[in-house]
Amino acid sequence: MPAGPIDPEAPLTEAALTRALRRALVGADPRLSRFDPLPRIISHDDFARGHCGWSQLVGNYEGSLDTMLPGYAQHTSAMISTLPHWDAGSHGGVDSSYALKIATRPRVGAQNVAIKRLNLRHRGPIRFEMYFTFKPEATELTLGDTAVRAVGLLFDLQGGDRDGDVERVMPHLRFLNAEGGQQRHVWQFKAVREPFRPAGSGETLSHYHLAPEGWQDLPGADQKLCYNEIATKVNWAYLCFDFDLATMRPTGLRCNDRVIDVSGMEPMRMPAMKNLWCMLNFCLFAETDTARRAFLYVDSVCISGDF
Amino acid sequence: MLRESITAILARNETWTGCAASEPFEGGWAIEAVIFVRALKPPVGPQPTARIEISPDGMHWADEGTRLDLPAQEGEVRFARLRRFGNWLRLAADFPDGSESCLLVTVHLKG
Repeated sequence: MPAGPIDPEAPLTEAALTRALRRALVGADPRLSRFDPLPRIISHDDFARGHCGWSQLVGNYEGSLDTMLPGYAQHTSAMISTLPHWDAGSHGGVDSSYALKIATRPRVGAQNVAIKRLNLRHRGPIRFEMYFTFKPEATELTLGDTAVRAVGLLFDLQGGDRDGDVERVMPHLRFLNAEGGQQRHVWQFKAVREPFRPAGSGETLSHYHLAPEGWQDLPGADQKLCYNEIATKVNWAYLCFDFDLATMRPTGLRCNDRVIDVSGMEPMRMPAMKNLWCMLNFCLFAETDTARRAFLYVDSVCISGDF
Repeated sequence: MLRESITAILARNETWTGCAASEPFEGGWAIEAVIFVRALKPPVGPQPTARIEISPDGMHWADEGTRLDLPAQEGEVRFARLRRFGNWLRLAADFPDGSESCLLVTVHLKG
């Protein structure tokens, strides 16, 4: 939470004392101090304690795995990695040996997605923070700074079964690093829905919402990140994405030193689905622009809410 | 503190032919691993013996020495147990011409 100044003249209410204590405790904890969480920490994943609930996004199917859409069929399991490099050994995380690694297959346009599946308790503000970095597989002794097309995150959300305005809402956000061999370095969103297709009998539907079409630049959201100078040097970047589950709209985006306006960002929206009530899913993804594997590394994630 | 344990999917519904291998997987945190293979469809032709491969970097691979006869019929499960594998793991097999198998390959790591 943005740390505003504490007014020494303000009455010391229980709420003010609680806020001050919480801020002090978070600030004094080396594991949390690098985050700015909202009052309730929903999860804090440092990946030094395993996968912390981040699993493979598996596609829907019915009767046979052959009914799974190809976009999902390519997904593989995330790994716990030390960022081991052939030339320099393990890079490690921010303050532990390990990070979550989401690796694509070595094909142009290949994608992979990891997911954390929760339910929401309150339709209010939530905040997703992470320290991340990305690189292509070091199969060539070149910079490779256009080998990774994009890395990003998306939420998959739906209100409760007694809410009156329920839709399934999927804000998609990605950092488009390169496209067609050209550097782009811009944050993008995707609001365009992909068509639903039946998996098997039609009782189960599926849509590959990460299809490469339909992404739009966020106005003013070009940003140069620290890529470093060879394929095996990485630096951890900070990302913070705010979303309001009451209005189902994005409310803020920060990356490193930049605050990015998300007022023009539209989430993907679709009618509520019959078995996704209170869904609170978080996805992280990577995509290649060449036939080299793309790696999204996540040192840590802190998801928090105001409730 | 309980030990960490994870099940990961190395290959799902992939039809292997020719020189085939699972995607590289990092499991350096684990002390032991078990790799299971199940045929999801009737295998076609003679089935090869698969090998476990390990790697210093996920790009250059060496035969670890463990062997695993691939399932001869649909639904059959085979497995191999591993220790001291370093970090990188994959399953590889060379299918003779005309042979193939649609496989589910999983790894179970504990450490």
